[in-house]
Amino acid sequence: MAIVLLPGLLATEAGGQKRFEVDATTIGDALRGLPVSDLVLDERGEVRSLVHVYVDGERAGDLGAAVEPKSRIRIVAAIAGG
Amino acid sequence: MGVLLLIGTRKGLFLIRGDDERRSFELEGPFLPGWQINHATLDPRDGALYACANSWVYGGTVQRSTDLGRTWERSEGLGLPEESGLKLASTWHLEPGHASEPKTLWLGGEPAVLFRSDDSGATWQVNDGVLNHETREKWAPGAGGLITHSITLDPEDAARLWIGISAAGVFRTEDRGESWQPANAGTEACFLPEDPYPEVGQCVHKVLAHPGKPGRLWQQNHCGVYRSDDHGASWERLEGNGLPSGFGFGLALDPSDPDRAFVIPEEGAENRVTCDGRLGIYTTADAGASWELIVAAEPAWVAVLREGMSQDDEAVYVGAQSGHVYALRHGEVVVAAENLPPILSVEAAALQ
Repeated sequence: MAIVLLPGLLATEAGGQKRFEVDATTIGDALRGLPVSDLVLDERGEVRSLVHVYVDGERAGDLGAAVEPKSRIRIVAAIAGG
Repeated sequence: MGVLLLIGTRKGLFLIRGDDERRSFELEGPFLPGWQINHATLDPRDGALYACANSWVYGGTVQRSTDLGRTWERSEGLGLPEESGLKLASTWHLEPGHASEPKTLWLGGEPAVLFRSDDSGATWQVNDGVLNHETREKWAPGAGGLITHSITLDPEDAARLWIGISAAGVFRTEDRGESWQPANAGTEACFLPEDPYPEVGQCVHKVLAHPGKPGRLWQQNHCGVYRSDDHGASWERLEGNGLPSGFGFGLALDPSDPDRAFVIPEEGAENRVTCDGRLGIYTTADAGASWELIVAAEPAWVAVLREGMSQDDEAVYVGAQSGHVYALRHGEVVVAAENLPPILSVEAAALQ
């Protein structure tokens, strides 16, 4: 099971849960399985432009890339705003 | 009866409860922290709260609460079809539907899109008539983007409503959104040097239909204040008779008096602050033939955005980008809240 870690605002939208264990073979599978998938992905199923996804510490760009059973997928909001 | 004010801000939603006299106000919130609330409203048909909650990271959403803000549920499946080539950028205005359609809601967003829900916001369907409008290629974004920000209903006919899009103008449907006709005759696009009176392209800032007089609409435009008495088929400009400027955003009506309206003029498009160093609310009691100034704050150089005014039978409410909320009743102004985040929207609802 891969582990997905959410930032605060997404965790609030997910009912207060920050850590999810998901049965996924790709990054896309893992993100689509989240209860906040519509906030991470847009209506085309693409990662929103200011959402950054890291897998085991490396910035990920391909939703089709494989994840290992113990991978840690971290979702990070871009630094912006005021 | 008291009032419940829903105050949308750049940093969450606030609720303000006002007493019968509109002299005492209690603040609650913020709700939905971390979200920019472009607009929030209470559906008088079932008491649910709706918020157009937006994030620069996570996009545009609609949130619904059936317990006055304690818990919220996010609409799912809000997006645009792939064949449109567009993606939903943000949500801007939610309007509860006609009383005869108790579960219908209308939602405006960017880029110039309209949605309808027939299940109290659980799911949404994009309006094809707006999405594929024959004049769409002539629409141009204003400073706030290409946004559907005004949705106003005919008080009698559920099939007739108007939308305002910046900068495309006002559009009317008489078949519940199947088709939309431009309703801009007589309104100026003063920023277009070649043809200032086109069919579409006007920069409407707010349009409201009077809830008690069918056919009467008011409009605050980039280029003037207007009134229509023929369902938007034609518009009469109402300046030169007491208003210091035709430029402004906020607009409020008196539900019990169709001849009374309220606007807050600003210096102009290049200097978007209230005129003459004060927050002046200008009101007409004669359908726009003359205007009277009511000073809400002075000195003041503030701005009130397009959703920043609302009204009920007792008072008019104004939320400024300074974070202050004012209540105007019988010519007297009371500060209802201060030092909130910059205010984007105000809606008044009856406090049960």
